[in-house]
Amino acid sequence: MSNPAEKWPIIMWRVILPLGESAFQGRRGFFLRCALPGPERPTLPQTGRLDAVFRPLPTTHREACILVAWYGTAWWDAMNKQFSGGVLSDQLGNGRAGAEIVLTAAGVSARVPDGRSFDIPYRECRVEIGGYNGRMVFCRDSIRTLTIFCDDRKFPGELATASSGRLDEQLGDALKRVRSQSRRGTLIGVVSLAAILVLIVGGYFGVRYGAQAAVHSLPISVDRQLGKTAFSSMDLGGPEVTDKVVVAAIQKMVDQLKPQAAIEGFDFEIHVVDSEELNAFCLPGGVIVVYTGLISGAENPDQVAAVIGHEMSHATLRHGLERTSQSLGVWAAVSLLIGDSTGLIAGGADLFQVAVVNSYSREQEDAADKEGVRMLHAAGIDPSSMAKFFAIMEQEHGDAPKLFAWISTHPQHTDRIASVTATVDALPDRQYTPLDIDWQEVQSKAKDVQKTTKGDR
Amino acid sequence: MYAEIRDKPSFANIHVKLQPGDQIIAEADAMACMSSSVEMDTQWSGGVVQGILKRVFGGESMFVNTFSTKTGGDLVLTQPFPGDMQCIDLNGNTMFLQPGAFVACEPGVKLGLGWAGIKMFIAREGLFRLKVSGTGRVWFGAYGGIFQKEIDGEFVVDSGHLVAYEPTIGIRIGLAGGIFSSFFSGEGLVTRVNGPGRIYMQSRSFDGLAAWTNAHLG
Repeated sequence: MSNPAEKWPIIMWRVILPLGESAFQGRRGFFLRCALPGPERPTLPQTGRLDAVFRPLPTTHREACILVAWYGTAWWDAMNKQFSGGVLSDQLGNGRAGAEIVLTAAGVSARVPDGRSFDIPYRECRVEIGGYNGRMVFCRDSIRTLTIFCDDRKFPGELATASSGRLDEQLGDALKRVRSQSRRGTLIGVVSLAAILVLIVGGYFGVRYGAQAAVHSLPISVDRQLGKTAFSSMDLGGPEVTDKVVVAAIQKMVDQLKPQAAIEGFDFEIHVVDSEELNAFCLPGGVIVVYTGLISGAENPDQVAAVIGHEMSHATLRHGLERTSQSLGVWAAVSLLIGDSTGLIAGGADLFQVAVVNSYSREQEDAADKEGVRMLHAAGIDPSSMAKFFAIMEQEHGDAPKLFAWISTHPQHTDRIASVTATVDALPDRQYTPLDIDWQEVQSKAKDVQKTTKGDR
Repeated sequence: MYAEIRDKPSFANIHVKLQPGDQIIAEADAMACMSSSVEMDTQWSGGVVQGILKRVFGGESMFVNTFSTKTGGDLVLTQPFPGDMQCIDLNGNTMFLQPGAFVACEPGVKLGLGWAGIKMFIAREGLFRLKVSGTGRVWFGAYGGIFQKEIDGEFVVDSGHLVAYEPTIGIRIGLAGGIFSSFFSGEGLVTRVNGPGRIYMQSRSFDGLAAWTNAHLG
């Protein structure tokens, strides 16, 4: 059967759709209104491909039907829309120009700023979709020397309408390609993001727990070197005290505690520093710093020994190295792999100071309290002095400690006193002998030093 | 207005001869020297918000300077890093520039800031890109030499080497090769560009310089 349009005499058709017969091919969205009377009136689908609608009609009936383009209006609108886009052509200086794009009955037409017009008939148009945003429509002629492009969101739809469906297939294919590409891109993106997240989270926990394990497998010499480097670059906050009585008293406490240390091979080195701080600390590797403020603040030597026991525990449990290695994180792991340990030690000492300011974590403090109590108990020093000393600290500074970093980052005193007392109660009974130190003398010597230092200032 | 790029390619600078009535808009701090007859007027680059956005995200300054003259004069414009400069003539079309590339333009050119997207960020081209459109000449600079390529089909550029491209260019991020070669070839992620359209590339990348410098520090 020949193309029904050839026999179709209705003028309406030519007026509304002056596209020529080829417009019939695959055109969608029409319905027929037939003026046939009574039972002769054919039942017709309201929409569908035009040729399919025509084919079953008897020839006599066709002549009595009026064809109405129901999306003729949309088509007419598409004819008059302007889009901004551009042209790529060798005929243009520089090969490109911006353009106003108009969809005509015959094809895509682009007018460049100098007034010239470039046209591509729909039948020659090769459609591609792409561009920076993935939705730019390219209409290229068959030899690809002329390209008209537009990234207006409405352009693909209007192009489909204006070309009477002839570009539908190409547009559909191009869209499908772009969508599958963007889906693949999204998939790759999501997978990479997930992989990065897993790496970060895994890396964090790996570093956190791996560092702990790694730290304990490192030789003590690393602690010592780290401690020494940190100590030499540290602002101690006061002059070092050399008074024999004071230093000897502290030495005695350390000597009594040392055999009970959790690991062997620690050389504890004592520095007494003149400062009013009610504080003491122990650097990795066993450098102990005791402030004269602690000596004058404590009621008896056992309390100072308790604080020193706590601080020694930080060193023997290698908390400093744990903190430092956590802060060093991946960098440390990489440096260790490369084997540049000098840089690591220097960097570690820097970071240790930061870690000291940030102080130990609460878990580490608890661990040091427990280990300190164990050491005191084993060394025959009354471990309850630790709780007693915390009570003094609480009295002096209250529970809103802000004065000293050491205090402020320590767990709340009341909690600590309770937990230390519980630990002490759980210990087997033992006779404790008070330390054989003339505390009055040590305290007065320490006060003398404080006076001279103040006088100097 | 006569303008010429001199000392190409390493230390390119733009030599401009302004006639009465001519205007050239340049990135703040781009002026190296000028005749005393040249007047400078400073404005927010496209308004306060745009200016701040350009500063924060576009790698450009918050302000642009407009140079004009009543009697005629010379002006030299430059960029902070060694490298070539390129002049493009916009004829109603649009061009995207990487952050920091813009140097100067004629008054008919519109400067805008566009979201480039996460994938451009991954390609180390920045989250935002400068969009130049309108009519007139635009000068932009790059680190190292600039070379251009007309693309129709796919082309691969290492990340950090893309300086300017047309909106017709589609960009995807991809691995340089397989997983192994991507990580060990030193190429890693690359940018796959799709034509039709023109791209401008720089022969050196800042990331490359930074990595090289890092390796030689300490």
